[in-house]
Amino acid sequence: MIQLLLLPAILLVGLVFGVPLIRYAWLSLHADSVVTGLVAIPNNGANWLRLINDQRFWQDAIQTSRFAVVSVGLELLIALAIALLLDQRWRGRGVVRAATLLPWALPTTVMALGWRWIFNTPYGPIEQLAKLFGLHTLNILSNPDITWLATVVGDVWKTTPFIALILLAGLQTIPEDLYEAFRLEGGKPRAALFRITLPLLQPYVLLGLLFRLAQAFGVFDLIQVMTGGGPASSTESLALYSYINAMRFLDFGYSATIMIGSFILLLLACILVWAIIQQSRILKGALK
Amino acid sequence: MIRTRNIWIIALLIWSLSPLFWQVYTSFCSPESLIQPLSNSGHRWTLDNYRQVLTADPPFWRYLLNSAIVGISSTSLTLLLAIPAAYSLSRIPAKLARLVKLLMLGAALFPYVLLFLALLELARSFNLGNNLLALSFPYAALSMPLAVLLLASAFKDLPVDLEEAAKLEGLGLWQRLRWVLIPLVGPATASTSILVFLFSWNEYPIALTWLSRSDLLTLPVAIARIAGTSVYSIPYGPYAAATVLGALPLLALVMIFQRQIVSGLTQGAVKG
Repeated sequence: MIQLLLLPAILLVGLVFGVPLIRYAWLSLHADSVVTGLVAIPNNGANWLRLINDQRFWQDAIQTSRFAVVSVGLELLIALAIALLLDQRWRGRGVVRAATLLPWALPTTVMALGWRWIFNTPYGPIEQLAKLFGLHTLNILSNPDITWLATVVGDVWKTTPFIALILLAGLQTIPEDLYEAFRLEGGKPRAALFRITLPLLQPYVLLGLLFRLAQAFGVFDLIQVMTGGGPASSTESLALYSYINAMRFLDFGYSATIMIGSFILLLLACILVWAIIQQSRILKGALK
Repeated sequence: MIRTRNIWIIALLIWSLSPLFWQVYTSFCSPESLIQPLSNSGHRWTLDNYRQVLTADPPFWRYLLNSAIVGISSTSLTLLLAIPAAYSLSRIPAKLARLVKLLMLGAALFPYVLLFLALLELARSFNLGNNLLALSFPYAALSMPLAVLLLASAFKDLPVDLEEAAKLEGLGLWQRLRWVLIPLVGPATASTSILVFLFSWNEYPIALTWLSRSDLLTLPVAIARIAGTSVYSIPYGPYAAATVLGALPLLALVMIFQRQIVSGLTQGAVKG
């Protein structure tokens, strides 16, 4: 009887998460585009062959991973600093905490367009500053070598507060006595960070890492609005590529193949990260 | 010691707020002064950008209203399904509950943007496009994992004796939920609601593909559409005004519900 109360929620989640995956698996084995008159026709895995030989797919996969790893790495570092700061007691902490939360609460598209203006050449403030210091025009959003870094800035700005709060929650579970005892034993405050705080924070770091890596791997809003994937598709993410295939090229079969492909790559990446974590634990154990 | 801390606090505030202040500054600038920022013409400050945004067709408040409708209906639907599910999770055998929680965690980790194409097909076949209330279904499903996990841990914290006592008093399941249990998980419900509301207010890819009529757009889509209309010259002044107007309700929400947001996110971390 009580189990029945679970049913509506599970059904809805199953419908919205499960049905698409099954549908994509099916679509990826069919040609379904304007060429076929938007009718699905089995094509014996031609989509998958195309995916494996699609340079743009692999380039996007590398770009998406690079974006995810660099963004999340920076976010963790900055978030740790913010969490340590907010964990201390000082006047006005509540207001500052609300101010740091604000970037996270705003819609991504709003500030994606904001960043586009900030990085604008030649009128944006960054270019103005560069000119003031006598630097060359940076062309931040039209130089394929550096545009992706601008998208990293946008992502770090927006999602760092989220990780900071998770780490803050972790910090608040560490009992004050531990630090007390450490000090009585003659430990230096700085050493406490590496000997107590970071080891005990590990599960929260892992949680934030896993969650954010998966989300950053699916980055879409920020890229679509800030750069549209350009210049020269240098910032295009896998999600954006599959979106373009579906909505611009109207090739639903291939779009679905890209999504399943991305999902498989993400799973592999998660397994890899997990294995590295396990490995490092074993290493640590061996050192003790 | 305290001085270095103040430097860090100031750095944090600059990092978080300066991009926003730049938007505020831009929104009050006339187009000419944006192009020549250092020139000192007399026409620097203007309210034209705001005037333009508020009198556009459809006017800007329409998008705020649409986002609010979607936010409220999605939050209600989520709570309606998540509260019974969370209660059930805290009462069923631990093994089954663990399995369901793992599934929910997997769904929460899934980059949901990959679902948009199939969801669009579903919307087309059930005729749900261009319908603000229909967006509640995908939004409730996408928020369900977080909502169920947060609420389940709140139900789990309630003492079992309490419910036993209510049962002895002759209260049925519905009455126990309505009069005893749900009031006690109030704080967790508030946290869940504000997080779900923020998610629905801000969601982009699904709203982008489900809505096409310009008077039905939610705020994120409306703002992105400004970017799409003219790739080469974006009307940054009016756009910045739109950003500021769009950020104000969220600023208010964050200020009012800061504690709920923080406890929602942190409870999710500690107990998830």
